[in-house]
Amino acid sequence: MTNKSTSSRRTFLKHGAILAVPLAAAAAPAAVLADDGLKERLAKLEDQSAIRELHQNWLRDINRANHSEASPAATTLFADADDAARGRLVRGIAADRFGELDAIEVAPDGRRAAGRFHCIVETETPIAKDCTLAQMAHAQGSGFVRSTERRVLNVEYAKTNAAWSIAKAEFPPV
Amino acid sequence: MPETLYPKEQMHRIAYTKLTKDQISEKLSAVSGPTSASPLSDVFAGKSIRIVTDNGPTLSYTFNGNNQLSLTENGGSAVNAGYGALTLDSIVFFSHMIPNSVRGYAVAIDRNTNLATVFDLWFCGYKDNREVQREIYYGYVEQAGEDAPKGRHATTDRMEGKGFYWKQDAGAETLELYPSTSYSNFVELSRLGGELSFCAPSDYVKIDDNHYIYTRTECEFSGTFTGYVIDLNRIEQVGTRLGFKANDELEYYVFRGNGKWLGQFARFEKLGDERGAEPPPPAPGKPAVKGARRVYRPFETMPKMTRAEVDAVCAKSSTAFEAPSGPARAGGAGAGMAGNLGPSSDWLAGKELTLRYDTLPAMEYRFADAETLHYRKEGRGAWIKARYHAYESCPGVFLFGHLLQDEPNHDGHMVVADFDQGLVTVFNGYLNTPYFANEAGVKIHFGVIEMDGLIPPKYRRHELTDEMVGRSITQNYSPGLTSMHVYTTPHSLSWVIFTDTDSGGLEWSGPAGYVKIRDGLYFMYWLEEACNGTLGTILVNLKTMRDVGIGYVCGARGLNMGAIGAHERLVGRLDVVPFYRVRESGRLE
Repeated sequence: MTNKSTSSRRTFLKHGAILAVPLAAAAAPAAVLADDGLKERLAKLEDQSAIRELHQNWLRDINRANHSEASPAATTLFADADDAARGRLVRGIAADRFGELDAIEVAPDGRRAAGRFHCIVETETPIAKDCTLAQMAHAQGSGFVRSTERRVLNVEYAKTNAAWSIAKAEFPPV
Repeated sequence: MPETLYPKEQMHRIAYTKLTKDQISEKLSAVSGPTSASPLSDVFAGKSIRIVTDNGPTLSYTFNGNNQLSLTENGGSAVNAGYGALTLDSIVFFSHMIPNSVRGYAVAIDRNTNLATVFDLWFCGYKDNREVQREIYYGYVEQAGEDAPKGRHATTDRMEGKGFYWKQDAGAETLELYPSTSYSNFVELSRLGGELSFCAPSDYVKIDDNHYIYTRTECEFSGTFTGYVIDLNRIEQVGTRLGFKANDELEYYVFRGNGKWLGQFARFEKLGDERGAEPPPPAPGKPAVKGARRVYRPFETMPKMTRAEVDAVCAKSSTAFEAPSGPARAGGAGAGMAGNLGPSSDWLAGKELTLRYDTLPAMEYRFADAETLHYRKEGRGAWIKARYHAYESCPGVFLFGHLLQDEPNHDGHMVVADFDQGLVTVFNGYLNTPYFANEAGVKIHFGVIEMDGLIPPKYRRHELTDEMVGRSITQNYSPGLTSMHVYTTPHSLSWVIFTDTDSGGLEWSGPAGYVKIRDGLYFMYWLEEACNGTLGTILVNLKTMRDVGIGYVCGARGLNMGAIGAHERLVGRLDVVPFYRVRESGRLE
């Protein structure tokens, strides 16, 4: 018995593939500022702002996505192998308004960043079609177990050609 | 020679002719309109009406007498057709086909409100041409000088859980149960002898709190459409039946019927939710499909194997009570039908006993441990080792099962051993059945337990019972996997799958049998014939509202016996049993 799967979604999860998401607009240059410290601080704030916008647009994409297998936003995000093997899908993410504050750390080189977001995540796990009842449930558009739970979303960002993109996103096991 | 009550083949076994469009056209052209055993209504005779529907056609009718009309669709050319109308209180129901076509209409109009529901009906809309398709349009009858009414008839779940006995004016008797918002059960008492219930996709439309419209299309069978208006207080119906019988004869008539209310099952939608079933959404990026409905078509996906193929797969893999493996079986959503299975019992370990059946060779057992037994047919040959699991449903009553080796039909025994009474019942599952070799069959055998310290009764046995017939129970097997059994006849049951809003959804049925072990404890089986071939068995404990069961199924991966378990809820009971009693004449009540 092997848990190996050929699912592209699961393969994606294993290798932490880069997500296809809209790129954030490049930050405006801060060259006009004379003071290096202020310039650096402004650049960091602008990076954080761009990343926040990127993050929110990406969440909107996920929350808008239908349940199509082909939807890139409906991909599995869990790093937990058991979650992934069960085909658990993220169907919606909302900010956990009573969780810790979001954190976005930009690396000193300004090319990489990491975000940590406390979320309420809605998930959907398909029921295996290994019995008549499950087959009937899927035939009527059900056949999933849905749940809502608090999780922390860890996102890694990369800056290419002055634009930020998501390099990796995952919900680590709690 | 008296006419037999029973058909040569039950509906799920009939190889219905794949009629061509030309054949259907020819049969339709041979009739001028629906027949009727009751006098047709002349309520519309000499009148003209214009029905305006939302997102559908505008139909202008002129009725000439009680059986001829002229129709204009969307202002097009007028066509003449034969029709039949019947009334129920303020409601008029009429039906007609359109000449030189394979389509027609069935219309319900409430003359108090002038609201109308139009069923657009047509053949040749599915790969099986004989299956009637339907689209429902809601609208109103235009009144000169008046604004269009704001209300509409609408799909509803208010009919869910009801059941009726119906007798039509031409004599057809049925039991019709509505345990779902998109499917229904029907038992053909007079046409087929009332042995089995069958299921069909259905519509439920609310006219007002007292009147509803029900339809069913016998998909996977003859494809016949039946639709009628019901008066819930008077238990009266007027409607139409359109389709082709098993002998391909056109059946097109309007009917009036009277019935009996059989009771009401509980419903599980959120209180206040009275929505009916929604049509399935169109595929992403595709327009809505006219007449879309959810239809369960198990026969299409059923593995159909020959005896040689069954023998080969059973030789390759015959397994019983395999340990759960892999994350899909680790629990939660992947636990399948074993998610709420209780712990197995080791009570039989170390015991030796003989199960002496009245109609089967006695079986001698030595239970080595909680999962291993040795058996032999009494006095014959060597002991054979087999894997088993046992479950104690209530004190002293155990369900256990095992596969038998070297049997030509790959038998499996699912046994309820009642050590309090010294009684035993076995559901003997087997393969190589007549229609598809991988479809399970079953025989019931009763007997006694012989072992040290136990004196069994001489005459008493577990018995077949109709005590469960008419009841319904939900079974939650694991998160997200809940079905509802409806024990429809003494020889069949149905299962309904809930939707995400806990409405009854898709439904199917199969032959079944019921054995009473003791008050509140019933051993039952069902066969998923023309579905996937499974033999399901459960021991239902009405006191604990739990069931434990054993499934026996053969497919491409081999023969497997596995345990299932569920938490239950009582849905209620419909008073159907009297209709299955055979009268002195030999006919059903």
